[in-house]
Amino acid sequence: MTAPEGILCAKSHEYVVEDGSLYTVGLTEYAVEQLGDIVFVELPEVGSSFVKGEVFATVESVKAASEVYAPVGGTVVEVNEKLIEAPETLNAEPYGEGWLVKLECGDFALDSGDLLEYEDYKEEVE
Amino acid sequence: MYKQTFLHDEQIKLGARMVPFAGWEMPVSYSNIIEEHNSVRNNVGLFDVSHMGEVFVSGADALPFLQKLVPQDLEKLTPLKAVYCQLTNKNGGIIDDLIIYKLEDNKYFLIVNAARIDDDLNWMVRNKLGFDVTIDNQSHNYSLLAIQGPKSSELMSQMGLRKEKQPAFFTIQRAELNGINLWISRTGYTGEDGFEILVKNEFSNNLWNYILEQGKLFDIKPIGLGARDTLRLEAALHLYGNDMDTTTTPVEAGLAWSVSKDKKEDYNGKDVIMSQIQNGVEKKLIGFKMLSKIPARHEYEVYYKGEKIGKVTSGVPSPTLGENIGLAYVKTSCNINIGTVIQVMIRNKLYDAEVVKKPFVAKKNKV
Repeated sequence: MTAPEGILCAKSHEYVVEDGSLYTVGLTEYAVEQLGDIVFVELPEVGSSFVKGEVFATVESVKAASEVYAPVGGTVVEVNEKLIEAPETLNAEPYGEGWLVKLECGDFALDSGDLLEYEDYKEEVE
Repeated sequence: MYKQTFLHDEQIKLGARMVPFAGWEMPVSYSNIIEEHNSVRNNVGLFDVSHMGEVFVSGADALPFLQKLVPQDLEKLTPLKAVYCQLTNKNGGIIDDLIIYKLEDNKYFLIVNAARIDDDLNWMVRNKLGFDVTIDNQSHNYSLLAIQGPKSSELMSQMGLRKEKQPAFFTIQRAELNGINLWISRTGYTGEDGFEILVKNEFSNNLWNYILEQGKLFDIKPIGLGARDTLRLEAALHLYGNDMDTTTTPVEAGLAWSVSKDKKEDYNGKDVIMSQIQNGVEKKLIGFKMLSKIPARHEYEVYYKGEKIGKVTSGVPSPTLGENIGLAYVKTSCNINIGTVIQVMIRNKLYDAEVVKKPFVAKKNKV
């Protein structure tokens, strides 16, 4: 599995990547591997805002419900509706079709300061 | 520091993801939970359940001693037969659930939950006064493997134990597999046909690999605790600590079928248990399925007509049904029955669930 260029990862296993004027947030392949079969994804409402570190989504695997933390603060512009019908997409393509939300960020530079570059994140989890 | 079973290294080789469970480091999954679950429902799976406790009870008073501990009438139990029971306290609360195997007159073998071994032993010792009995905890010397699934019997034949030689449902016998002497019982925790094999630790690696090798013909898979939980819950088999504990009686837990109503001997909690059978209970364990796609989990609150009426004890997405199932204790005064729609509180929102019959998936273990 190849991660997109320029993604930044939180130690809590969320990633964020620039997408035009927005930022796409999802879970890393390490996270979805650990979770196992994902059976339900609860996403926030479009228009809701979160600060960095706040719980903004819940991912349910067979085994348990896991909270997802915002790697950066922002306002939700779009949620991945496809995950409602096909939550397994998150297992299959965490960096592609399995993204969670697109955010409009206030101060991305400030919020992303402690996030890890992909290679460093990989080293951290392996 | 967590304890490891003798099969730990073999499991790591097979790619197991290990998690802490009841003081042990155990495999939660080898590949993925749904695949493992389906292997057991469709073919056959191998479990390491060596964390469970093995206790031998023997002596001239073994029978009257055990009679004092459980609501089942063990008088009726003949050699090599087994029975599902609970250790109850004076209030009828469940200290542990267990299977008692009668090996011979004056000699019994108990399989108990890993997390409860110490409490069970303490309780037994406290009840021992005046009985000529020896309580021998052998948990550290034995491994326990479970072969479960519709192809279990064929696999056992393949390994040299012909069908007519195999133990019948809820019986145990001595046998030899790959030259290893062991005990085999026709029991399990999945709702499928299957066997549990008690073997001395030093032979468990050999046996584990032999079963996986011989099982290739039947597409055998090693199965972790994740699938063990979904399998047992589909069959509505209780998990100690979730679905019952010292604050619930066998009657409240829906286990009155395992209480011998005509048992003459006194046992701990008998007055409470028999009174509940005659007069009813204030809470009962029900089965439900969510009417939405969100799984209910242990400890979620249950509501009915705006009132909080109980708690979910176990909940999983059922791989077999494709629905979210669970067990919950509810107040009996609310008149909750099959078909009643209740609500489960999930992350501060109420979601509908329908009360359904247990088990959720029909058991196929009585062969």
